[in-house]
Amino acid sequence: MVDFTQALGAGTLVGLVYALLGLSIVIIYRASEAFNFAIGEFLVIGSFLFYIFFFDLRIPLLVALPLGLLAAGLVGALVERFAIKPLLGRSPLSMTIITLGLGFFLRGCVQLIFGSHSYSFFLELPDITQEFGDLLFLSDPIWAGILSLSTFGLILFLLFRTRWGLAIRATSENQAKAMAFGIDARFILLIVWAISSACIAVAGIMISNFGALSSMSSIVGLRAIPVVLIGGMDSIVGALVGGIIVGVCESLAGAYIEPMGLVGFKEVAPYLLLLIVLLIRPYGLFGQIRIERV
Amino acid sequence: MLSIENLRVVYHDVISVLNGISLTLNEKEILIIIGANGAGKTTLLRSVAGMIDFYDGSIIDGDIKMNGASIKGLDATDIMKRFGLTYVIEDRPVFWYLTIEENLGAASFSRWDKQVKADIEGIYSLFPVLEKLRHRKAGYASGGEQQMLAIGMALMTRPKILLLDEPSLGLAPLITEELFSTIEGLNQSGITIVLVEQNAHAALDIGTRGYVMETGRIVLDGSSRELLENEDVREFYLGSGKRERKSYKDAKRYKRRKRWL
Amino acid sequence: MKQRAFFVLVCVLSLFLLFSGPLSAKEIKTLSQFPMSGPVGSLPEFGWGFIDGMNWVNNEGGGVNGKKIKWFLEDFRYDPTVEVATFNKYCAEHTPDEFLMATGYITGGLKPLIDKVNKEEKIPWLDGSYSTEIFGDDGGPSKYPYYYSLGATYGAQLKILLKWIKENDKGKGNPKVALVYSPTAWGRDGIPEAKAYAKKKGIDIVAEIEYPYSATSATSECMEIRKAKAQYVIYHGYSGASGCTAIFFKTAKQVLKDVQLTGTHYTTGRMPILVCQDAYDGYVGVATRPFVDAVPRAKTPMDNPMVKMAHEFAKKNRSSEYQKGIQEKDAIKDMFLYMEGLTYALMLQKVLTDADKAGDLSREGVKKALDKMVWDFNGMFGGKKFSYKSHTIPMLQIFKAKVNMVDVEGKKVPTGAVVPITDWINVDEVKW
Repeated sequence: MVDFTQALGAGTLVGLVYALLGLSIVIIYRASEAFNFAIGEFLVIGSFLFYIFFFDLRIPLLVALPLGLLAAGLVGALVERFAIKPLLGRSPLSMTIITLGLGFFLRGCVQLIFGSHSYSFFLELPDITQEFGDLLFLSDPIWAGILSLSTFGLILFLLFRTRWGLAIRATSENQAKAMAFGIDARFILLIVWAISSACIAVAGIMISNFGALSSMSSIVGLRAIPVVLIGGMDSIVGALVGGIIVGVCESLAGAYIEPMGLVGFKEVAPYLLLLIVLLIRPYGLFGQIRIERV
Repeated sequence: MLSIENLRVVYHDVISVLNGISLTLNEKEILIIIGANGAGKTTLLRSVAGMIDFYDGSIIDGDIKMNGASIKGLDATDIMKRFGLTYVIEDRPVFWYLTIEENLGAASFSRWDKQVKADIEGIYSLFPVLEKLRHRKAGYASGGEQQMLAIGMALMTRPKILLLDEPSLGLAPLITEELFSTIEGLNQSGITIVLVEQNAHAALDIGTRGYVMETGRIVLDGSSRELLENEDVREFYLGSGKRERKSYKDAKRYKRRKRWL
Repeated sequence: MKQRAFFVLVCVLSLFLLFSGPLSAKEIKTLSQFPMSGPVGSLPEFGWGFIDGMNWVNNEGGGVNGKKIKWFLEDFRYDPTVEVATFNKYCAEHTPDEFLMATGYITGGLKPLIDKVNKEEKIPWLDGSYSTEIFGDDGGPSKYPYYYSLGATYGAQLKILLKWIKENDKGKGNPKVALVYSPTAWGRDGIPEAKAYAKKKGIDIVAEIEYPYSATSATSECMEIRKAKAQYVIYHGYSGASGCTAIFFKTAKQVLKDVQLTGTHYTTGRMPILVCQDAYDGYVGVATRPFVDAVPRAKTPMDNPMVKMAHEFAKKNRSSEYQKGIQEKDAIKDMFLYMEGLTYALMLQKVLTDADKAGDLSREGVKKALDKMVWDFNGMFGGKKFSYKSHTIPMLQIFKAKVNMVDVEGKKVPTGAVVPITDWINVDEVKW
């Protein structure tokens, strides 16, 4: 039981970070029906921008974090302006393919600017390690869970309680309709990319804080794929649930299945689960069934 | 107030849809544009509203002028903000996944004044049925309710000119009638209206003037009364002409009789 | 007429001159390949060290008894196929009596070349691979007579660690060890040998964990080790600079407080000090080379002649790269890589010179020179000499990491080194 609680807790904490990655995919998918395959590179770039503010310029964390996220958002906006905007109104598939190419391009840029060695990453957040008997939850994952969850909450608030959120949701549903009612769909799309990019940066910073930051950290971004496919490509709740499911699934597989001799199963487990989910619910657990009226 | 001069529009650089359209819109009138499918009515509205490039079309010739100044190439939001021109796109342009209230909120995005709340209440008093459904997702509303919502949303932008693209599409005759009387009411409150319709009879009944479009050209224009009485319009758009068509051969002869061809 | 005769004469003469040169003087050609770019990152230090070394060998170093080596350097981008293709290209372009030696740096390149090198070309091949599969008991000189490694195998490294654990364990009963390795050919290499050896020595392997490079968390791994009540962890098959290593050490520092972390060559060195910082303190690891690069660099002990030579070379030939900070572009981030390039150059000179002295400057002669070699490698192994009879340089040393965090302008930075806690061990002479 202790083991189970331990695996569940640790999985949930990491899962919350994955949920944030999922969210950033979902909001872009809803806005432009494109899957952002460059997520890993956004993660690395966002983390490096924060790195510059916090570690190189030594700005205090409370200032450096917003600055870093702002810069990450700016990068997202720039990318949207130059790579995605020209495709507005075209097939979402072409945007998805552009993000694939964009990933390679950005990876090259990162390696050119930052090299490909590892950068040490110690946020030095207050130690809030929780230990009850045999249960142990480390400080860094707890912080990651808290920060990811609050970012998630902030995005939800933005989307569902503000006029900009309303405009984003309207644009996400139909760009033409939004434009007809005076919502500047292009600008909204820019904002969506910026928000998404900032979210990815939060996740990137949290994950870098577990270990170190390097251009190889981009692999982590791919965790978002099972997350959104399990939760449903267009569902925000799905991203949260999917993230936790993937985190817990990895953690349980690590705690129970791998010791049985199936080493490396941890990596595969989320995809196996994904397969089962997709067989039962092809749109994912919370994928919206489209309202069709003819 | 709005004049279109010799407008030519192509989609994807090759498909020519408008082949030199000229028309004028006078203040406070209801202008009816009728035409068959593919005549270019929707394209015309898109061009005026500044949304043509979104659909990968481009204006290759001619001009669109608002009070004498060209608005060609302006952004949709610019046109809306500067000239109060709102385009209600075809097929019930409501946001299905937002509630009715959110829909009205979304439509007032371009406004920053404090009147928004009051205006929403105004819309509810105009369409009481919407108030009952205010927290329902618009996608679950009926066709007529959606169309009312669409017009309500258009009103939230405080338009001076309203472009309506086939609002009666798929609506029951009774609801269409109700809708058109609402449109007439809006016009009486001072909004200039351009109404694109296939339901020519009902439209011309409330319209001031009308144009008949065919294959990207204006082929006929005149006051609503003139058009209603025009033999060809009656036959081809109102369907109330002599009903003696019997065979394909006859139909061909009718086609030849169109005077404008 | 006279003019024409003169013209023909000039033509014949020039043709003769053109072809006589290459015919008369036989050149000494070698090919070296290093992973200087590619997925592991940009590691130009290999090339810099090798170039500086070869330039010294040919100029001040005296060459091969006065003759110059015509050396070729290629970047195989950490891709075995590139390594194989480049080697094939050179084999086709250069004749066997001139192209005497080749070097490589990846196990994945050795495998497809087994037949080509050992049976067809019969060219001595020096490699940076520590593969137990190729250089261990199941491979070795009898199976792959032309393959030579410049370090002891991972199997030997793991066994030395286990031996150290057994000898230094103060607890009662069998020491309990957890194996953590990467799910790669590299990580799995040597594990069967280590397990067999542990059994023989009375060491309990209480956990065996494949911890992937793409990991975002090491909590469940560390909890498993804790549950298994392991006293030691052997961490094997990772680059010391990779993120997953930092995750593992940071987590282990908190979860596995009383557990001794140990590891193999590539996690014993400079990068983990920088990346894992004080989580790396107290780590015990084996390495095939002396520790060459402290943090900060100025604190590196220079009592080892080879380390001293590497630093002097780098300072002289690459002064700006040497002085640059770790995070700047084109900096020498880890002197180990630079020294590695340099050792290859020195090894080429030593072997070719030996072969030349024996009067047989051919591929076979080079092989004989390698097999007979007894050398101290410029004093690299504390003056100890090694022989190449196992086709690996069988020298290992055990180090312990000492890391301190110091305040520099209000920022905590790590300082430290890994310091030897044993003498150099010749694994060919160890009584297992």
